[in-house]
Amino acid sequence: MHALARRLEALLFISSRPLPPPEMAAACGCSTGEVDEALAVLRVEYTAERRGVTLRDVAGGVTFAVADDCAEDVRRLTGAERPDDLTPALLETLAVVAYLQPVTRAEAAEVRGVSSEWALSSLEQRGLVEQQGRADTPGAPILYGTGARFLKLFGLRSLQELPPLEEFSLQAAEVDEIRARLLANAERRRA
Amino acid sequence: MPADAAVAAPPVALELDLDVFDGPFDLLVTLILKDEIDIWEVRVSRIIAEYVLKLADSGEFDLDATSQFVVLVAALLEMKSRLLLEEDVEEELEDLDPDEAAERLLERLVRYSQFKNVAGALRRRWDEHSARLYRSVPVPPALLRRPAPAGALPAPALPAALAPLLREPPVPDTSHLADLAVSLVKELRRLRLILGDEGEFTFAAVAPDDRLERAVTFFALLELHSGGEAVLRQKRHLGDIVVTRVARPVQVAAAAV
Repeated sequence: MHALARRLEALLFISSRPLPPPEMAAACGCSTGEVDEALAVLRVEYTAERRGVTLRDVAGGVTFAVADDCAEDVRRLTGAERPDDLTPALLETLAVVAYLQPVTRAEAAEVRGVSSEWALSSLEQRGLVEQQGRADTPGAPILYGTGARFLKLFGLRSLQELPPLEEFSLQAAEVDEIRARLLANAERRRA
Repeated sequence: MPADAAVAAPPVALELDLDVFDGPFDLLVTLILKDEIDIWEVRVSRIIAEYVLKLADSGEFDLDATSQFVVLVAALLEMKSRLLLEEDVEEELEDLDPDEAAERLLERLVRYSQFKNVAGALRRRWDEHSARLYRSVPVPPALLRRPAPAGALPAPALPAALAPLLREPPVPDTSHLADLAVSLVKELRRLRLILGDEGEFTFAAVAPDDRLERAVTFFALLELHSGGEAVLRQKRHLGDIVVTRVARPVQVAAAAV
């Protein structure tokens, strides 16, 4: 095998967190370009069809992961459980935090139109959302954001990988339909 | 909840005669909770004043009833202060004509639906990725919680184990903690000197950097103001405070001292 690929394999084997390529380059005393090249070799070596372990890009770095079809065996061995499912309210709140972070509880509640106190503390307990200091506004409210665990559980390299918010906008036709309904309502209220 | 407390606790006997309400205090609270009286219209300070008068007149002090009164008044004040914060939004929507309100609502719905759609996309990612197992380092077995070893101990072991816990621990040495370095008297003297020399100064110019010291400086300003030695002015909200000496004969001030 490629000499540098072997050394990277050693780093990835021992590291318990995703390793950013520049960090690996510094450890091996080579350039990031060389690391990327060697990683490509490693990726071929560790394709899911050949090994029970694969290489994944997640949360800002590269890390070993169990091949998906082997996960159940590992769970039986270790007793590790799948994370609890997220309710629609939790997912919605998480979406607001992920896109608007750092965000205060009040801002999240404003977007959703309902209090998000429980949802935020529940997300915080699950490690999907974390406190990131306090806003420089009256009352110094806590700011919430997402951390590495969020990226891992959603298979994201970084927050930049989230599709732009505009892609999730309503279609013009849907907006028109809602407007028509609201205006009809307004008409009724006036009458 | 304040509302539950109002139901559970004994009634507060207080007859009120307010602009908007004439009757017992309990009834007022009930009506406010049922939204039949607008709390805006109620001057809580009047209620408190009446209650204090009643206490003074009766000469008796019923701790339970008074506590209950304090709880209810606190609840009223909380409701009122919440209204202060929400006023802008509520009033705004009320004042809008229905079409404009519909537009506003539409704006909010459009924005909200973006995130609702994001939640859908996150759900798909979650289903795909959340079960994945990444390389991790387990907690070393030595640190895991393990069942306590079974075993019998002789009875005297219990008092022997508890005795050290009951002994008073030595008082911690606090000699390294310095006393507060700011004093109101000193600060007052300093501000009076500046006021005497300059006739006028601004808070920002004389305030120290430390938060606590600033607070003392501010307190000293209030003293100057209430003593009639200086006038405080603020050009705008949150702006700097300008302190101006009140012109009065020096002799009088000296005579007063």
